[in-house]
Amino acid sequence: MLGYLVRRLAYGGLTVVGVLLLLFVLFFTVTDPDDIARKAIGERAKPEVYVQWKKNHGYDRPLFLNREHGAASAARYTDTLLFEHFRRMLTFDFGRSDADDTPIGKRLREGAGPSLSLTVPLFVLGLMIGVTIALFVAFFRETYIDRAMLVVCMLAMSVAGLLYIIGGQYLAGMLLRWFPISGFDPEASVVARFLALPVLVGLVSGFGADVRLYRTVFIEEMNRDYVRTARAKGCGDARVMIGHVLRNALIPILTNVVVAIPFLFTGALLLESFFGIPGLGSLTVEAIQGNDFATLRTMVYLGALLFIAGQLLTDISYALADPRVRLS
Amino acid sequence: MAWISNITVILLVAGAVWLARVASRSRYWRESARELWRRRRVALVVIGVFVFVALLDSISWVGGARDGDNMTAFQARSIIDRIFQPETFKEASYSAPLAGVAFYGGKELKYPGAHLLGTDILGRDVVYRALKGVRVALLIGAFTSLLVIPIALLFGVSAGYFGRRIDDGVFFLMTVLASVPSLLLLIALIMALGKGTLQICIALGVTGWVHFCRIARGETLKLREADFVDAARALGVSDTRIIFRHILPNIAHLIIITFALTFTALVLSETILSYLGIGVDGSWGQMIDQARNELSRAPIVWWNLAGASILLFTLVLAVNAVADAMRDIADPRTRREGQ
Amino acid sequence: MRCAIVAAVCGLLALAGCTNNPYPDADDHRKVLYSSFVEAPRTLDPAVAYTTAEHIVTANVFDTLLEYHYLRRPFELIPGLATGIPEAVTKADGSQSYRFKLRDGVMYHPDPCFTLNGQGQRARKTVAADVAFQLTRLVDPAVNSPAASTFADVLGVSEFTKRLSEMRKADPQFAALPPHVQYERAGRVAGIAVDGELDLEIVLAKPNPQILYWFAMPFTTPMPWEAVAYYDGNEGRANLGDQAVGTGPFRLATYAKQHRFTLERFADWYGHRPGSAPAPGAVFPADISPADVKAGVIDPAYAGRPMPFLERIVFTREREGIPRFNKMLQGYYDDGGIIKESFDAIIKDDQLSPEMVARGMRLDKEVEPTIFYVGFNMDDPVLGHSAGEKGRKLRQAMSIAVDVPEYLRLFLNGRGEPAQSPLPPAIFGYDKDYKNPFRQPDIARGRALLEEAGYKNGIDPATQQPLKLSFDTGNTTAQALLQYEFMVGAWRQLGLDVRVNATTYNQFQQKVRQGAYQIFQWGWIADFPDPENFLFILICENSRTKSQGANTANFCDPEFDALYREMKSLPNTDQRYQIIRRMVAILERERPWIELFHNESYTLNHAWLVNAKPMGISYPAYKYKDVKPKLRTEMRADWNTPVRWPLYLLALLIAAATWPAVRTYQRERS
Repeated sequence: MLGYLVRRLAYGGLTVVGVLLLLFVLFFTVTDPDDIARKAIGERAKPEVYVQWKKNHGYDRPLFLNREHGAASAARYTDTLLFEHFRRMLTFDFGRSDADDTPIGKRLREGAGPSLSLTVPLFVLGLMIGVTIALFVAFFRETYIDRAMLVVCMLAMSVAGLLYIIGGQYLAGMLLRWFPISGFDPEASVVARFLALPVLVGLVSGFGADVRLYRTVFIEEMNRDYVRTARAKGCGDARVMIGHVLRNALIPILTNVVVAIPFLFTGALLLESFFGIPGLGSLTVEAIQGNDFATLRTMVYLGALLFIAGQLLTDISYALADPRVRLS
Repeated sequence: MAWISNITVILLVAGAVWLARVASRSRYWRESARELWRRRRVALVVIGVFVFVALLDSISWVGGARDGDNMTAFQARSIIDRIFQPETFKEASYSAPLAGVAFYGGKELKYPGAHLLGTDILGRDVVYRALKGVRVALLIGAFTSLLVIPIALLFGVSAGYFGRRIDDGVFFLMTVLASVPSLLLLIALIMALGKGTLQICIALGVTGWVHFCRIARGETLKLREADFVDAARALGVSDTRIIFRHILPNIAHLIIITFALTFTALVLSETILSYLGIGVDGSWGQMIDQARNELSRAPIVWWNLAGASILLFTLVLAVNAVADAMRDIADPRTRREGQ
Repeated sequence: MRCAIVAAVCGLLALAGCTNNPYPDADDHRKVLYSSFVEAPRTLDPAVAYTTAEHIVTANVFDTLLEYHYLRRPFELIPGLATGIPEAVTKADGSQSYRFKLRDGVMYHPDPCFTLNGQGQRARKTVAADVAFQLTRLVDPAVNSPAASTFADVLGVSEFTKRLSEMRKADPQFAALPPHVQYERAGRVAGIAVDGELDLEIVLAKPNPQILYWFAMPFTTPMPWEAVAYYDGNEGRANLGDQAVGTGPFRLATYAKQHRFTLERFADWYGHRPGSAPAPGAVFPADISPADVKAGVIDPAYAGRPMPFLERIVFTREREGIPRFNKMLQGYYDDGGIIKESFDAIIKDDQLSPEMVARGMRLDKEVEPTIFYVGFNMDDPVLGHSAGEKGRKLRQAMSIAVDVPEYLRLFLNGRGEPAQSPLPPAIFGYDKDYKNPFRQPDIARGRALLEEAGYKNGIDPATQQPLKLSFDTGNTTAQALLQYEFMVGAWRQLGLDVRVNATTYNQFQQKVRQGAYQIFQWGWIADFPDPENFLFILICENSRTKSQGANTANFCDPEFDALYREMKSLPNTDQRYQIIRRMVAILERERPWIELFHNESYTLNHAWLVNAKPMGISYPAYKYKDVKPKLRTEMRADWNTPVRWPLYLLALLIAAATWPAVRTYQRERS
């Protein structure tokens, strides 16, 4: 077991290195730091201002090899963009935003709260509702309820997420006036009314794919022998569905779900942007529109890191649950 | 540059027809096709209509303009352009579907009752613009997949078949690419590569490649242990032959299903890119982005959004339905016997 | 199962409290003004802040030496922190000097950057040295202020900046010192002289009467050196750009710049301290015109009352236009613009619709001192100076083809004044009877001009195909592309093939830097109400390609430049007017720009918002405004009752859909 753990961790670490390399190629070799400087401080500054700006933001070194140092010294390789990039990302020293010099770490801390307050309820409720509806539908499989729900799911999946948001804002915010159209206020007494609409829209746009997936898993479980035995023994339907089918189907469902945990942090980009929730997703959208490469780099890196961590967790829990994996 | 995408669409369709002919030689494929037709007649017809429209929009040539109209005399216009004649078939501004007067102000239209879905803010016919988006959607979905499938197959099958070092390398590459949240990777790629149809296709390809590769690799791993492959190897058949004659045909159905699902995912991602301002010109995503504010007009202007959304929805639904049915047919448990 | 679903839905809505009010209920009766902003401010450093969102804060948190009279039009300067408006004193060597005297007893907002004073507070008095410090900052190249070029004419500036840059380059330790120490050691700027605690003299190398206007902008506010030294972004302290330590009637209370910030009344504002003479900038003007009262803009009861009246101002970020507008209609913002989508419902026949009047709303219309134009790159071989008469006719033809009234109707609901020259109404030199012959749309005449240019029917004789031109832009939003399509359509009628090249902003800037552009679209908002501020964009020394200046059209006409130099320092006399008319005549003939329009702002004000008069030049001065909270709460409740019946209907539908299934199941069981 320990060996497996160590191997998995090592592989995860290697993946992180790979991701950092990919980011380096994308962000440093393809884009010109002079362009970023000009976007940040305008076209008309004196040359020394550009030089200073590039120095402040870590863009002033050569890419791989710093020929200013001697061949023997380590600085030849460490005083480069590549090394700095790795060093900073691995030590979580994200520096300052390219657009307005704010420390990125500060923005991350500020944005994590609103993002989590949106994505955690979305995730939990989505799971609960998806499982409940799928259970219901699986129980009534092959009846009109099942077929109707399959059609509904298919239709729901085919609508673009953007259209759900537009429709939801119009319907619930404008026509029915149930919730504020957009905005956010972290004060506890009012925060719920800002989250209700984005959570609802997120639920509606995601439930189609979820229900279909869970339904498949449940039906597979329901076809197994032990379920038939339980029924034959006279167990009530509720007992069978919840006590046996759900419990056993939970493992494959949860492993699918653990993979989604990293997205709790990166935030639902579109939802945050449209509903004005100042979370990490909204931060990313602004980085895109403001050509803020430093922040974008950080967000992509964190997203990848969390994903790798999630995978690791999944594999370890699999190893714990299934002895065949451990021994292979 | 437009003729490049024209050729691409025509080649895509031609390629699909050629593949169908090759596949029709085997009984398995003929029967699967028949079964698919039986189950999803409507969806297949719908897809066929869309492909036909895209073809019509791809066959373009210069010439045949009216006398004195110098602009169009030198432009390459497709069949759709010639049918709709957008230079003249336009109004001053908004008009409702099949209306006779302008939407604001009530002036007489130039072509009363002729615009099926009305006109947009610049007076352009909505049906025409929505139809022009079909080709773009097909390009985004199909062309990208076409860029990606051969490369993914190359990597995936080699990894699965030859194993060990190659497998380790490909698996690592896949893991690295898959670790980055796809939307973020997409955005980062486009910011780096710049705006343009080809760049967007490449970016979409890079993010979608992993999915195909994973499936190809998984299936090849399974097939490598199969008896008939062992036998072929024992008989001394070269690796290349085994791959092309035994492995590829057996993973083909999975590739096709994955293609169908990826197609819809790509087209839907493009709408998000359009919202962020980095989408493809002339796509439905751009139409939706331009039109979304019009829902709040008083009185409401809904036909612009409706035109793009309906076509988008129909195409995605049809492809989803067909992919679903294909999956059921391929799965021996749900496939009905003897038909 | 059914019960669970219904319970969940009801629970969700109950949890939400089912109201669309975004503010805490406790604020319902306070004098709080709610407003919104679109783009987040980049920096609050008054030496650098230049955009609307930034001015919302800086114009209210920082006091300036001079101000604009709130009510008088055309705009007039009045003393603010200064005791009077200085007269220019011309010296023998041609230099001009201005002498300011500051009011005594003006305090900064209490802030951790100050040391404790005698009263146990972290605050201090404003002195003339603070203004001198800020003016020096303006010319400091490291600060990169947009006002640097204006103040470059101050005596001794170029020597000072040279000294400063050299010292910084020579010694990195010096460069790391706080700025006020650096300026001391580099020797002061000769033309900025402090005399005692409250006197300041500015000496300009050559006359520049417009410089007084710059003293009404936050650029020249007194800046405490403690704030610049303290807010350096280290050890958890904010950046200078994220803090605002000023003397203004409001202080920055909270600042989450991407999302929301609040200003709160400053108790120790100089306007609250009874002095010998009431400060003109601290009491509401007494000379209220009857027209303003009749229109309901100003409440005469406020005449002569000490300001400010508001307790707090809350600004919330609204990036999308429609939610912003709808929340304004619902009463959650006290004023706002009208989005074009709802225009026809709000405005009927150029008046407020009856529904809006019934809600008690008031409409303000103002043509702002702005100019939006399409420009030609005069360095281009096909379109520009080097194409001579041919190029001129081509530009004239393209100019006469663009139908701006139609453009305004389509995209701006007719809001805007079609421009005949760069000068907007209310700027000296504007002639309301002048009609630029190349700005009255006439396609037939355009075709004739094009033929005279040698491009009959738009065909380029060299290629025998329609002349290909490129319209370059860095704006890829959906709305902008539609507007460009309109222009291109106009030129297509002449037979010209103009392509829109919309790239990313960076790519566009690169093109501009390299001079690789032909046609572009730009806009300019006046800094101050003087024609110089519009005409300087077209003089040769400001050419974009040569000197990174504002003249993106690269227009270079020696006669125009000579006239500009003549009129620049003249007061508003008839002689100046005639010179300006001659300059406009040159522009009419040469057509470096296709003047589009001066935009007109339509602002809706709620019934409970008092004393809101639009000020195009200066930014919203919230010290003059007031709200009636009780009226607001009543009207909001009236307009925002939630519609509950769909909820019950939905629950019923779910029950109805699943009822037969449950019945069948129960029947099977028994």
